[in-house]
Amino acid sequence: MMFEVNELILKKAKELGFGDVVVLAHEQNRRQVRFANNEIIVAKNWHTQKVELFAEYEKRVASTTLAALDENTIEKTLQMLMKSVKNLAPKEDYYGIAEGPFKYKDIPETFDKAIVELDEPNEYVEVAINAALEEGAERVAGVLYTDHNKLYLTTSNGVEAFDAGTGIEISVRAFIGDEESGHGTNSVRILKKFDPESAGRKAGEIAKLATNPIQGEAGTFDVVFDPLAFANLLSYMSFMTSAFTVEAGFSFLVGKLGQKVANEKVSLKDVGNMPNAYGTRKFDDEGVPTRETKIIENGILKTYLLNTSFARKYKTETTANAGLLMPEAWNIYLEAGDYSKDEIFGEVKHGIYITNVWYTRFQNYVTGDFSTIPRDGAFLIENGEIVKPIRNIRVSDNFQHILENIAALGKDLYHVHWWEVTTPVFTPYVLVKNVGITKATK
Amino acid sequence: MHELVEFAIEKAQEMEASYAEARFEEKNGTEIIMKNGNPEGLGILADRGIGIRVLVDGGMGFASTNVLTKESVSEAVKKAVKLAKAAAKIRNKPIQFSEESFHQVSYEVKMKKDFRDISAEEKMDYLKLIEEKVKETGVTTPMRFLRYGDFMWHKIFMNNEGALVESLIPRVSVTYNLVVFEEGQMEQAPFVQRAFSGGLELIEKDQPWEWAAKDVKALQKLIKEGQKPPEGKVDVVISPEVAGIAVHESVGHPYELDRIMGREAAQAGESFVKPEMLGERIGSEVVTVVEDPTVPNSWGFYLYDDEGVKARPRYLIRNGIINEFLMNREYASYLDLKSNAAARALNYNREPIVRMANTYLAPGDHSFEELIEDVKLGVYMVSFNEWNIDDRRFQQRYIGREAYLIENGEIKHPVRKPILEITTKGLWSSVDAVGKEIEFYPGTCGKGEPGQGVPVWMGGAPARLREVVLRR
Repeated sequence: MMFEVNELILKKAKELGFGDVVVLAHEQNRRQVRFANNEIIVAKNWHTQKVELFAEYEKRVASTTLAALDENTIEKTLQMLMKSVKNLAPKEDYYGIAEGPFKYKDIPETFDKAIVELDEPNEYVEVAINAALEEGAERVAGVLYTDHNKLYLTTSNGVEAFDAGTGIEISVRAFIGDEESGHGTNSVRILKKFDPESAGRKAGEIAKLATNPIQGEAGTFDVVFDPLAFANLLSYMSFMTSAFTVEAGFSFLVGKLGQKVANEKVSLKDVGNMPNAYGTRKFDDEGVPTRETKIIENGILKTYLLNTSFARKYKTETTANAGLLMPEAWNIYLEAGDYSKDEIFGEVKHGIYITNVWYTRFQNYVTGDFSTIPRDGAFLIENGEIVKPIRNIRVSDNFQHILENIAALGKDLYHVHWWEVTTPVFTPYVLVKNVGITKATK
Repeated sequence: MHELVEFAIEKAQEMEASYAEARFEEKNGTEIIMKNGNPEGLGILADRGIGIRVLVDGGMGFASTNVLTKESVSEAVKKAVKLAKAAAKIRNKPIQFSEESFHQVSYEVKMKKDFRDISAEEKMDYLKLIEEKVKETGVTTPMRFLRYGDFMWHKIFMNNEGALVESLIPRVSVTYNLVVFEEGQMEQAPFVQRAFSGGLELIEKDQPWEWAAKDVKALQKLIKEGQKPPEGKVDVVISPEVAGIAVHESVGHPYELDRIMGREAAQAGESFVKPEMLGERIGSEVVTVVEDPTVPNSWGFYLYDDEGVKARPRYLIRNGIINEFLMNREYASYLDLKSNAAARALNYNREPIVRMANTYLAPGDHSFEELIEDVKLGVYMVSFNEWNIDDRRFQQRYIGREAYLIENGEIKHPVRKPILEITTKGLWSSVDAVGKEIEFYPGTCGKGEPGQGVPVWMGGAPARLREVVLRR
């Protein structure tokens, strides 16, 4: 049914004189259970059916969403779009969309009927809350989602593609007093891999460990970032790898292709076709099959994330990250190192372990100067051991400086996707030398 | 559409919901983006749907659909009721709402220059004007991201307690990111926005192109003449823009009662403020902070909130004393109070939660000259780039973009990146004088899960902070 609607929209758009046309229909069934103070505060369900339309007329580009799918609405919308776009100045650096058709491979662990049929997910919430309470937490808050999405893509360049995906995820924050908290998450695409208990347990453990924190000191410290904390930084980083944000002045990577932007230990990828990853899709918004793209290899910036138009502008190949206006990352992946967690801590004589951060903000996107605020447990490390919890500190540094000062990477990767980390990230524990730490005075 | 909204309420009551509300929302508008002089494209916003929220057995359920048929709405109601019932089983006590009196009203913000009558190319002319004005300054500005946006926000809210509120609120905005490159240095004015509820006459009067030109000139001056700011204990005069972010982050957010009581703990966090702190001193005598959704043409404007409660100004801090929290019906009831109409939802597919609208530092009795004249050594912070605050809203920092040295009562040369990193109590206790004139600046306030970035204004009068620690 949806492909018929897509075909109709495409046909009518071509009749009106549009050139490149992309029709992307979504059908979304999403469920949420939110909890706080050990009880459910609200449960939600979303049913959304929408069609996103991108249309080009002699290098003038326009996009919209169709609110209703009857023939009358379709015709009116297209006519209005043409009328609006016809007299605009052209986008001189528009170079078209991908030439299809393409062949698509099924990606393992992205669809699970058991999630579609799951009647009632509240037991998972109880499991997570109880695990945190068992570890010593007093108040537990968080959110659980189940997802079932269908995508139908039709383009004027011969693409007709379908993808269906599922997911289930939980984010748990555990509290003891006012200032003692911990956070854990778990995100998967198939039900049997779902582990809400681990998220609750980690949140509870860190909260317990954080009991009676003292004011942290300002200075320069070696910092072990928990995967949850480093994922936040990499999620911002993913925004800065898009060719669009680079051109628009929102990235410290501008003008640095082929240059060293990170320690040679650092290799960073975007992987659009990764099994069991929350951002995985079979194809991008132009229908190009998703793939693995090396963004930084051994510290050298290899590419920005591109769609076909940007790729042609830069005389290279698309990285399958359309976004027709703005290329976007699917799953950001920091290559693991060979350190165990204990070995990473063992590298630190006098430093800090940061389990989570939030509110990352930039003074200057182009230079990469930023700060971010540790939340949940943060701890002093002496001679490789956690010695005491600290509070009220801020990481105040520079993005490239952080990447250049990575001294050790853990060997296990963690999949992080939650409220603060909107692009899914795979990252190990990371040790960064000489990180700027500040604190509020007065 | 009223019929479908009413149908949802009736359906929910049939299914034994003790409380039911339905909210139809429709947004129609235009977005135009220009990057480095190139039109990036035109976006037409067309979105609508219905959200239904119910209480059953003391549990809360919410469901939304954008398929506007009786069948689909009925299905959504069933889901909301089922979810509420199941949620009720994992609760310590039932959810309650405060008792309120409701109205059947309809209101609209009129436009003098209606954006629905204006072509896309004329709207793009606003962005071209920014391009021209920035170019005219002669300042090298290699990266320019410009965005124009307008939309009509139509809502119909109904509940089973007699509320029927329909509103039509148009919103217009212009946003820019400008990167100045001179003498080998980059400085940036990122995500600067001018925004209003109303028609294009407001944009034309405000002239965002003049703001943009002023910004790049200030950045150029900063590069050419900027020096290190003083360090240590000095006086700081904050502009209405900086006062605005400070009242938003360290007064508005921590006074949201849902946050205080832990509902947002896993996302936006909790608060250093506790219910029993009502009546306690948090700032000096001259500090009064007001939250007012009813400011005409404001970016955060509304007259009735998304629970149908009539809006009024809220005095969060009065003369330095914590006076009132921001509340919706649920959280007001836990303190045996009435809602003060702070429930807002971003769209039909979001639950209404406790939010700010327009938050400002109320005017005092000093002229701007009087604020400056007896400062021996200090900094006047005009605008900021980087800012953040911890999730209990107690330790924050603001880094100046445009800022100047004050010496012996006179404003001197620009200073680079003065850092004010201070606690909430420290900040508001340091204020010894507040200016007379207020200004507002727009922002998008983030909260809720999934995120609900709602339009707000922040601002107020300039203020003088005595002997605060400034860093470089």
